[in-house]
Amino acid sequence: MAFQFKSDVMWETLPLLTHGIELTIYLTVAGLLFGFIIGVTSGLARISRNPVLRSVSLVYIEIIRGTPMVVQALFLYFGVPLAAGVRISPITAGVITIAVNSGAYIAEIVRGAIESIDPGQAEAGRSIGLTRMQTMIHIIWPQAFKRMIPPLGNQFIISLKDTSLLTVIGVAELTRQGQEIVAVNFRSFEVYLTIACVYLCMTLSIAKVLRMYERKLSSRSSR
Amino acid sequence: MTIKKDEAPMIEIRNLHKKFGETEVIKGIDLSIRQGEVVVILGPSGSGKSTVLRCINRLEELTSGSITVDGYDLYDAQTDINYVRSEAGMVFQQFNLFPHLSVLQNVTIGLTKVRRKSKAEAEGIALKLLEKVGLPDKANSYPDQLSGGQKQRVAIARSLAMSPKVILFDEPTSALDPELVGEVLDVMKKLATEGMTMVVVTHEMGFAREVADRVIFIDQGVIQEEGDPASFFTNPSNPRLKDFLGKVVSH
Repeated sequence: MAFQFKSDVMWETLPLLTHGIELTIYLTVAGLLFGFIIGVTSGLARISRNPVLRSVSLVYIEIIRGTPMVVQALFLYFGVPLAAGVRISPITAGVITIAVNSGAYIAEIVRGAIESIDPGQAEAGRSIGLTRMQTMIHIIWPQAFKRMIPPLGNQFIISLKDTSLLTVIGVAELTRQGQEIVAVNFRSFEVYLTIACVYLCMTLSIAKVLRMYERKLSSRSSR
Repeated sequence: MTIKKDEAPMIEIRNLHKKFGETEVIKGIDLSIRQGEVVVILGPSGSGKSTVLRCINRLEELTSGSITVDGYDLYDAQTDINYVRSEAGMVFQQFNLFPHLSVLQNVTIGLTKVRRKSKAEAEGIALKLLEKVGLPDKANSYPDQLSGGQKQRVAIARSLAMSPKVILFDEPTSALDPELVGEVLDVMKKLATEGMTMVVVTHEMGFAREVADRVIFIDQGVIQEEGDPASFFTNPSNPRLKDFLGKVVSH
């Protein structure tokens, strides 16, 4: 029996994925929101004058970058509750995983962008009497933030796709929902193709929005 | 020892030593600068002259010695270094204007964030200073729309905004095209005639001869020669200075 592609299966599948799509967006947005906060904090800690802060953030970054996210999710969902004696929902565990994971990469993006700003900028700020904090807020950060946008966009896209790994802890996001549909209708080709298209739409939207934002920022500052 | 504040030097450097790693760049410099004095520091590249300047507002940490600015000991724990820096303006070779801020904002940021002035008051002061440096029509431009000479004049206005007691110039014309040097030197001359205390590291011999009250020659980390410009340039006694002046004048 030869394989027959049925495009109508794709159209039938799409509405069944609504909840999965919503959950994927929720995991991405919530995870990245906290991930951004963690990332900025540990990125600044990485370049702080305090050696303790510097090493704590370095250890965090190296552990997260050096281990697979699937293992991090399994550890957080199955391992930590066992030791701590509290159960958390798969979705909560998923958000935490995305946040902690993306935070490490965002920390490096933040550090890299700040270090790329000419030291003369900080010297000029300090020489008119701005404090270190004021120099960071008014002089360094606005310039560094602009440089962060392209790599941040990259990280947002990676984190969105990484939510699919959360199937291992049973989060009913897009990929998981697709697997469940395939288990019923066996149309793996059409269903996974549909899912791939949905992911592609979402990642392309992120890229588009960030490009627009970047353009807006650069037009404001230099004309 | 009691000295009246007026007679106390604006800048007092005692036995300044500075090491970068194992290399000693400054090997014991004593320098006292009076209020209203214009001091030009000359020296070959790598002589440590910029380092001395950067130590005066602690952009560079000294290894040993002491520096006081307007009576404040820079290394006294009681001294608010941010305050001292706001009183000792700095003009850099590479201008270091803030590229994300307009010309006006470059000048007002110190007034609003350090001096806590209102936006309106700060802009009033800034516009007057931009007029003084000859750029009243550039207030709303951004640094990347300016020539090098214009950038440096904005940088001078930015440091003047803080009404500093002294301005340190670190090779202010070295990054400029030759035809733009004059406009920056003119502004500096104007400041000198108004009585601003200035310490200028430069290679502009004409400026040194014409404007300086005192010229200092630093080489190999020590002051080799100092004096008023007339005697300094006409009959230099130090062989190193002779050699340096010969090289500079020849091109």
